[in-house]
Amino acid sequence: MIDWSLAIKTAIGGFGLVFGILVLLGISVELTRVITEKIAGDKGEKKQAG
Amino acid sequence: MFGGGIGMLFGFLETGFSLFYWGNALMIVIGLGFIYLAIAKKMESLLLLPIGFAMILVNLPLGGMMDYELMLKAPSAGMVMEVPMHEGDNFTKGGIICKLDSGEVVAPVFGRVDKLNVSKGRHVDKGDIIASLITMEQTNQSEFPTRPLGLLSIIFTFGIMWQILPSLMFLCLGALTDFGPMIANPKTLLLGAAAQFGVYMAFFLALIFGFSMPEAASIGIIGGAEGPTTIYVTSLLAPHIIGATAVACYSYMALVPIILPPVTKLLTTKRERAIYMKPALRKVSKLEKILFPLVATVIIILIVPTSAPLIGCFLVGNLFRESGVTERLSRTAQTAFIDTITIFLTLAIGASMPAQVFLRSSTLLIMVLGVVAFACAAAAGVILAKIMNLFLKEKINPMIGAAGVSAVPMSARVVQVMGQKANKKNHLLMHAMGPNVAGAIGAAIAGGVFLGILG
Repeated sequence: MIDWSLAIKTAIGGFGLVFGILVLLGISVELTRVITEKIAGDKGEKKQAG
Repeated sequence: MFGGGIGMLFGFLETGFSLFYWGNALMIVIGLGFIYLAIAKKMESLLLLPIGFAMILVNLPLGGMMDYELMLKAPSAGMVMEVPMHEGDNFTKGGIICKLDSGEVVAPVFGRVDKLNVSKGRHVDKGDIIASLITMEQTNQSEFPTRPLGLLSIIFTFGIMWQILPSLMFLCLGALTDFGPMIANPKTLLLGAAAQFGVYMAFFLALIFGFSMPEAASIGIIGGAEGPTTIYVTSLLAPHIIGATAVACYSYMALVPIILPPVTKLLTTKRERAIYMKPALRKVSKLEKILFPLVATVIIILIVPTSAPLIGCFLVGNLFRESGVTERLSRTAQTAFIDTITIFLTLAIGASMPAQVFLRSSTLLIMVLGVVAFACAAAAGVILAKIMNLFLKEKINPMIGAAGVSAVPMSARVVQVMGQKANKKNHLLMHAMGPNVAGAIGAAIAGGVFLGILG
């Protein structure tokens, strides 16, 4: 006998979780870009100042 | 059956003819078909050729390469009333091995009797070993533990059932993967996520068709279009259908050029297919490429710990590639190591398909559900791309959503070809690689979620 309630939770929860994690990864990728660009920018400024 | 004279040579050498039946012949034809596709059509040759050969090997009776020993124990105490089997006899799943006054002892798998430890009139206690059986079927190890005897069953047990080969294959794939296009355009992660809809759609359909939850999850994960993920999840949840799920996954990966175009055309207009995307993506710095596997590992494994073996191996392989200081490791993972793993993995998978296991109605159903999973995954990616276009200033070509089905890099190449047909100026390959690699990550997470809930 299939536990349909568990099946629905597995499917909806699972898909939601996968989607959520990949969205989170997308956000972290954007954050990484901003931070690395800032670091690169600061280094460039320091070089110019030096 | 070929019985009679050629069943025995010189009166003492048992040949395979006595046990050969039409199912073995059919599986050999299928194996030859795989080898034909690999050699003549060059379709996934590295996979289909060894799988096809191993299929032939295990369907030649008495070769013993995929044999397991199973000690059949008495389920209850009782007096032996009758022993209908003799040593060397073959039996089907559910066949009666011995009759006790407390009930019948039936075979949990197909196979043949190696040794009988009981005789009529003898008393047995619960748990006493009644017979030593030889089988090629995967069993639930907690209920019916088996010991591998043949070369391929040893590779299968310690390579696949111990989850070593799929994880190491993922490490090699990580070393081959360039996340650059995805990092350059993180929106494409959404398309890879949407494509996982195929996994859950097939999961539901499998349940409706009467498969158990672990079986349905193993069938659903075919939609992730990642061979190692499918093998990993199935080996843990439903090892008895591993041959069917692995073959479905690898076959459809080879058939991506046939599956994706009709689905994509059905869901897009000619004008949408011709949407132009600038070929150049922004340049991704080395630091970003190094940070991605580290950040992704922490995020994913903290949320879905059961995905650790796949995600951990995938991303450490990628770090080998991107770090710039482990070039030797990266090169080895991309060449000799992946080839070695491929040999072990494909031979073991091909060997999991003796006719008695593979030629069941459920196998056909798994193959059908597998193609539905692929089609739904591609469709979901395309539909999300169209929805995203409602909000984006710079429109994306919805066909790149179909590449979210993973099957790296085949589906991205298919999208590139379709893009060129619709608009000769379009070069969608790099744009499609984003959802493509995101789909691979998404499939591994989906597998981890299934294991976390059902494992």
